[in-house]
Amino acid sequence: MRHIKPWLAVKRWTLFRIDDRLLLIVIAVIVGNFSGLASVVLNRSIETMVEWLTPLRANWWAFLLPGAGAAASSLFLDKIMREGAGHGVPEVIYAVSRHGGLLRFRSSFSRLISSCLTIGSGGSAGPEAPVVISGAAIGSTIARKFALNDRQRVTLVGCGAAAGISSIFNAPIAGMVFAVEVILGEWKALNIIPVAIASVAGTEISRLLQGNQIAFTHRTFNIHFVDILASIGLAVAAAGSAVLLTRMLRFMAKLCSHSAGPTWLRAAAGGCAVGLIAVALPDVLGEGYAPTRIMINGAFTTGLAFVSITLLAKISATALTLGWGGSGGIFAPCLAIGSLLGLSFQRALVLAWPAAGLANEGCFALLGMAGLISGMLQAPLTGIFLIVEITGGYDVILPLIIVSVISTTMCHYFEPASYYLHELVERGQLLRPGTDARVLSDMSVMEVIEKDCIAVPPDMRLREFTQIISISHRNYFPVEDPATGRFLGMIYLDDIRPYLFDPVMYDAVVMGEIMNTDIETVRPDDDLTDVLNKMDRKKLFSMPVVNNQRFLGMISKATLLDRYRRELAVQTS
Amino acid sequence: MDKSLFHIFRNTPLGRETLLQSIYFCKTVGAYPMIYIPTTTKFLMYFENDVVQVDLDDTYLTSPQTARTHAAQLVEQAGIKPVFFTPKHYTASTLPDIPTHFDFMCCPRSISDLSNKIGLGYIGPRVRRVVQAAPFPVLIPSPAFKEWKSITVFFGGSANAVNALRLGINLGRATGMDLNVFTQVGRRKVDYYEKVIADSGLEKDVQRYVKNWQRFESGKFRENLYEVPHDALVVLGAFGHGLIRDFIFGSKMEMIQSTVTNSMLIVGPNYVARL
Amino acid sequence: MKLTIPEIARCLALPESTVNRWIRQGRMPVKRVDNTCYFSQAALERWARERNLPYCPPNTDQQTCGQPPPEDLERAMKRGGIHYHVQASDVESALRAAADLVPELSDNQRDELFQSLLARERLASTGIGRGVAIPHPRTPATAYAEPARITTCFLEDPIDFNAVDDEPVFVLFVLLSPSVKQHLHLLSRLAFCVRDDTFVDFLKSTPGPADFFLKITEFEKRLISAGY
Repeated sequence: MRHIKPWLAVKRWTLFRIDDRLLLIVIAVIVGNFSGLASVVLNRSIETMVEWLTPLRANWWAFLLPGAGAAASSLFLDKIMREGAGHGVPEVIYAVSRHGGLLRFRSSFSRLISSCLTIGSGGSAGPEAPVVISGAAIGSTIARKFALNDRQRVTLVGCGAAAGISSIFNAPIAGMVFAVEVILGEWKALNIIPVAIASVAGTEISRLLQGNQIAFTHRTFNIHFVDILASIGLAVAAAGSAVLLTRMLRFMAKLCSHSAGPTWLRAAAGGCAVGLIAVALPDVLGEGYAPTRIMINGAFTTGLAFVSITLLAKISATALTLGWGGSGGIFAPCLAIGSLLGLSFQRALVLAWPAAGLANEGCFALLGMAGLISGMLQAPLTGIFLIVEITGGYDVILPLIIVSVISTTMCHYFEPASYYLHELVERGQLLRPGTDARVLSDMSVMEVIEKDCIAVPPDMRLREFTQIISISHRNYFPVEDPATGRFLGMIYLDDIRPYLFDPVMYDAVVMGEIMNTDIETVRPDDDLTDVLNKMDRKKLFSMPVVNNQRFLGMISKATLLDRYRRELAVQTS
Repeated sequence: MDKSLFHIFRNTPLGRETLLQSIYFCKTVGAYPMIYIPTTTKFLMYFENDVVQVDLDDTYLTSPQTARTHAAQLVEQAGIKPVFFTPKHYTASTLPDIPTHFDFMCCPRSISDLSNKIGLGYIGPRVRRVVQAAPFPVLIPSPAFKEWKSITVFFGGSANAVNALRLGINLGRATGMDLNVFTQVGRRKVDYYEKVIADSGLEKDVQRYVKNWQRFESGKFRENLYEVPHDALVVLGAFGHGLIRDFIFGSKMEMIQSTVTNSMLIVGPNYVARL
Repeated sequence: MKLTIPEIARCLALPESTVNRWIRQGRMPVKRVDNTCYFSQAALERWARERNLPYCPPNTDQQTCGQPPPEDLERAMKRGGIHYHVQASDVESALRAAADLVPELSDNQRDELFQSLLARERLASTGIGRGVAIPHPRTPATAYAEPARITTCFLEDPIDFNAVDDEPVFVLFVLLSPSVKQHLHLLSRLAFCVRDDTFVDFLKSTPGPADFFLKITEFEKRLISAGY
């Protein structure tokens, strides 16, 4: 045992001190494989579950199925895994911004199971967000095992997310771009290389196990100038739908939080509502890949009115599933909604101008998907690359770019933060690398504190105090009770400067009389952002740091700026 | 008074005992208790290289309206100004982040399983995780409040034991209480332990502060544990090795904690001496 | 190379918590296992230079690396040397003679120093009373004044120096210092000594170098206890 032990302590292997980048690439491959595997497992389990449940769909009580699935997934998350509901991507971004990508191990499988229950039973949600979380958690766990530092761990979290997306869509570029654009928020070679490697590994795993299939088969489209014009209109419509979906989701979540009953019951209610919609429009069920596939092929035969209603129904179903506590992401529903939107848009245009000579509806379905994804995630690159890759078609790239960027911009007017980031931005916790908020959040009060202040007792006379001034470097002097060490107040040199050279005052004034007791103080665990806000509000340049009635030091804007610059230099290079 | 002890308050009689124990500990070593009154049963602790989700059992949420007054009462009786902790950041809306910069943390033997399981020989899985990851020593109070009058350090020669000894010496210095060291001399010779102490530069401190170094060269460890004074705070290092070894061979810590009812201060492998 | 975090923090003149965090976040080319840090010194030095961080290699005297320690009189005086029976008839010749006695200077620098001393003397006399003068250049911080030196010149005959108390000056302390801070530091220490009657009496006895330095050491100790 004694001889094996050193080998078990992975973090001690000297191998790992050789070269960081190489090491990271090797680990990225491992993370990519595991993460890819997770997404294959989820994909297969959903398929299996749908297969099992298909015979039951014929029964009159089939509408209860999504309810039961959502309830089961909610119970599983809440009682067994003890995790919160929701899609979890904000948690990943939060961990990346504040805690160096530390994620719980249980996250690496909890959402897989819960989302499988939700989606497999018919809830309208996507398997992508769960895959992203489990990939990220796998990356984080492996990084922890290897005792890597925060930066490397964050990169591996990105690797996991990238591999998950790559594997589930068989789209390595989209995975890479998604990880960097949405999860990491930092375009640097240091990040991109391992992420790219992990994407390849994840994709390869999925190809090995499931074959190299493209989610939506490729067709050639003839794109004319008129289509590009039409795509502008489509972008606006896509932005509208994205905003509608976001608002619906939020409204449902609010409604849910105000209603009584345990969380699993609410999830069940939402699920059953979806089931009821599905009685009339079965296309809203599940992640919706099958109807999307039909639409791209241009084989969706129902009329314009029906398509439009399905569009609205799908939006409501997604909001009902996710807002009421089902588990899953919005990626796949976005694709389905986007294609429905594209279809309706094209049909409406054809109806208005039959002679315009537009491209066929499959093409517009693609554009709609790109528009919705870009709008929801406010990540235009992810939208563009994803659609190009999952359809294997490059011909639509021009209108695709137009739709994506316009939709992103339009959505930004109504929703300043994307669906994933909204919660974080609201809490002020979106701390992208190299930003002011990030630099300030990384530093702590105790790092910028100045400790060379000389404390004086309250009964000291001005005469003795002048001696103290001559040896002090600072203009502030804390007054402390010599017996208990309690902080009583501050003396500012500026206040007493006029009397310093007046010998009459020397014995007439005691420190306890002239100290300021009504002062703003800082606690050592305060956030520097708050400290700075307080300073700005009260027009202060320095504040004493006091903990449990003890003076610890001063914090001043000058030192803060010095440290801030240093921190920024270290963080951004 | 600038050291802090993190205490999660449980608004039950059992919680009262543990809080009293925490307060006594604080008063003795010169720390102040930082009290957290949980509002959800879950919270996260982000350590340097680990994140631990702690799921408290439901009794922690007993009658939240009286919790604060109860806790404040107990602390004020001891003549300390109560300091309450409010989480600033949340990982998810029901998942507060608890910082880990405290100097001590008080954990009853179990915080996630029902309290009726609490007994000797059982330390809950969450408490183990916390001990494993924590940079601070974890105080595991005896089930009922009892003052301790001396400090006993278990010293078995490992790196963790050296940390425990260092902590024990610091506590002894801070409190002025008697410091005893307990060593079960196993296969190794007595000189080995002396050499470990000399190597870690603690020789002088040991001579100065340790009142009695009990070295047991015979007898079973479990039986010798009777020699630990009933009113001593037990300081020991823990978890120097992996799960599998623990499972097969058992560990000293397990034996100590299942035999001795005293309050224990456990130093985990990630402990960083900050005193 | 192996060091602990406090040691690295000292090398970089940063708080320990910052170094700890930077290592944890992977912002420094340092790998930590438990409490020991492994790094390549060259890499760390380059890293610090690129980010304008001060860095002084471990095991060097921290004092000499960043801030020079405050000079004390004894060392400065030993460097400057003591000269007896210096011939001078007036201020100018005294300064000329003193400038020629300052060690480690080229002839050009001596001229420059002399001009500078003279310029300062025209501004106001450096005779601080009781027969002591502390001539120093007009601008204290000059290139040739590194390291700080105090050249002590006992004059053969006391001369009129336009001192504040009009007493003839019998001893010159030529003070050269590389920075204003050190200049003030040494000046105040010297002034402290001269304020003491016993010291002036001692000087009047034209003590030999050994006795002189002994006295200075004694006064330095007093300076420390007086909180200078």
